[in-house]
Amino acid sequence: MGEVLVITSGKGGVGKTTSTANIGTGLAMLGKQVVMVDTDIGLRNLDVVLGLENRIVYDIVDVVRGNCRLKQALIKDKRFENMFLLPAAQTKDKTSVTEEHMKALAEQLKAEFDYVIIDCPAGIEHGFKNAIAGADHAIVVTTPEVSAVRDADRIIGLLEASGLESPKLIINRIRTKMVQAGDMMAVDDMMEILAVDLLGIVPDDDTIVISTNRGEPAVTDEDSKAGQAYRNITRRIIGEEVPLMSLEEKQGFLDKLKTLFGSK
Amino acid sequence: MAFSDMINKFFGKDQVANSKDVAKERLRLVLVHDRANALPEDVLLALREEMIKVITKYMDIDEGALDVGLTKSDTEIALVANIPVVRIKRNVG
Amino acid sequence: MTEAIIKADEAGENTILVQKSLRSGQTVEFPGNVVILGDVNPGAEIIAGGHIVVMGALRGVVHAGALGDETATITAFQLEPTQLRIATHITRSPDGTDAPDIIHPEIAMIRNGVVVIEKYVVPK
Repeated sequence: MGEVLVITSGKGGVGKTTSTANIGTGLAMLGKQVVMVDTDIGLRNLDVVLGLENRIVYDIVDVVRGNCRLKQALIKDKRFENMFLLPAAQTKDKTSVTEEHMKALAEQLKAEFDYVIIDCPAGIEHGFKNAIAGADHAIVVTTPEVSAVRDADRIIGLLEASGLESPKLIINRIRTKMVQAGDMMAVDDMMEILAVDLLGIVPDDDTIVISTNRGEPAVTDEDSKAGQAYRNITRRIIGEEVPLMSLEEKQGFLDKLKTLFGSK
Repeated sequence: MAFSDMINKFFGKDQVANSKDVAKERLRLVLVHDRANALPEDVLLALREEMIKVITKYMDIDEGALDVGLTKSDTEIALVANIPVVRIKRNVG
Repeated sequence: MTEAIIKADEAGENTILVQKSLRSGQTVEFPGNVVILGDVNPGAEIIAGGHIVVMGALRGVVHAGALGDETATITAFQLEPTQLRIATHITRSPDGTDAPDIIHPEIAMIRNGVVVIEKYVVPK
């Protein structure tokens, strides 16, 4: 029996879909049977991030309406045999999917896969409630901004209220230089406020943009720092102890000078 | 002005307005508001019950007139309890 | 193979003209032929019982002969669909190829049981 993880954030644009794609792919790289489910009906994106958009015939709405069997709607990844995508519908009515549908779907999928990763839409409405309905655990993605952390706090409260205890946090788009200069909240600042377990930190990294352009998750790129961060995260998900990656970069001359004179 | 402050000024670092600290403080305030707004009614009721239990150990109070609530201003949130005391017990403990 | 409920020929008199581009999430479903005066963006979808003609760039998903007609065709000024279906045949754009430099109208049809795409030549 597999595990259902929902990836959520409240605020849009913090990297839910990127995190879903990288965690799913990372788990597949570790040999797990993985299926990713895009629940952002009407604004689907996971297919594009994974580079599978041209293979979609059926989607999640077709499955719940009985237009096709679940197996028919699952799209096999082009790199990993053990990884599948259940795409969201782009053009159909989103109210056709209910929380009961999602629970049934999650049960069906986790009977066959080690990990079912659900990409949640932004917001706290219908789509969010659907996405978390069948989940066993939740991962909350945030960035070091007041607005994103505030929404993460709201989401953590809602998750706990719906019985998804102790969600895990991913802090995305950390910019080491800005943190060092005191112009970005550090990991400790956010952990102190949110008081949940940290699953990982992901540096702000140009390779994410490039990999999204190509439809190849950064986790497969050995040279990508963000990819390394996601490889660490997936290993933590399967229960390994992996220390947090050091985001310290070599200090420039000016930084050294400032350190010398006791500036932060 | 200390030399290090001059260096900081030179590098555009004003210790007073470190934007990370501003962010953290704004976040702390906004979350106090958010969480207070999302506080379920029964939490305040439970708090009220427990307060009565503790206080009546030391004094008699008018339980019916007891009022517990949160007051909000821009900069802080306070838990305000108005508890009319009827009689203070002589020998406590 | 699915039996055609409406043949493209029968639907010949039955054509819808859409005078705007289709954006992501928009769909046109019609039992007859569909003509689009505009582009069809990625994420948009056309499902037609008959032929599909796009007087612009076709980048979304198109399904001609959706009721089973294998003689249905898909024509576009710029034919770069995410996925192209005729009757029960499904093809998709090759992975990781860039758009060609030279743009000319193309037509997709079924010939000898496979979907072929060729330069559109005005029938003599």
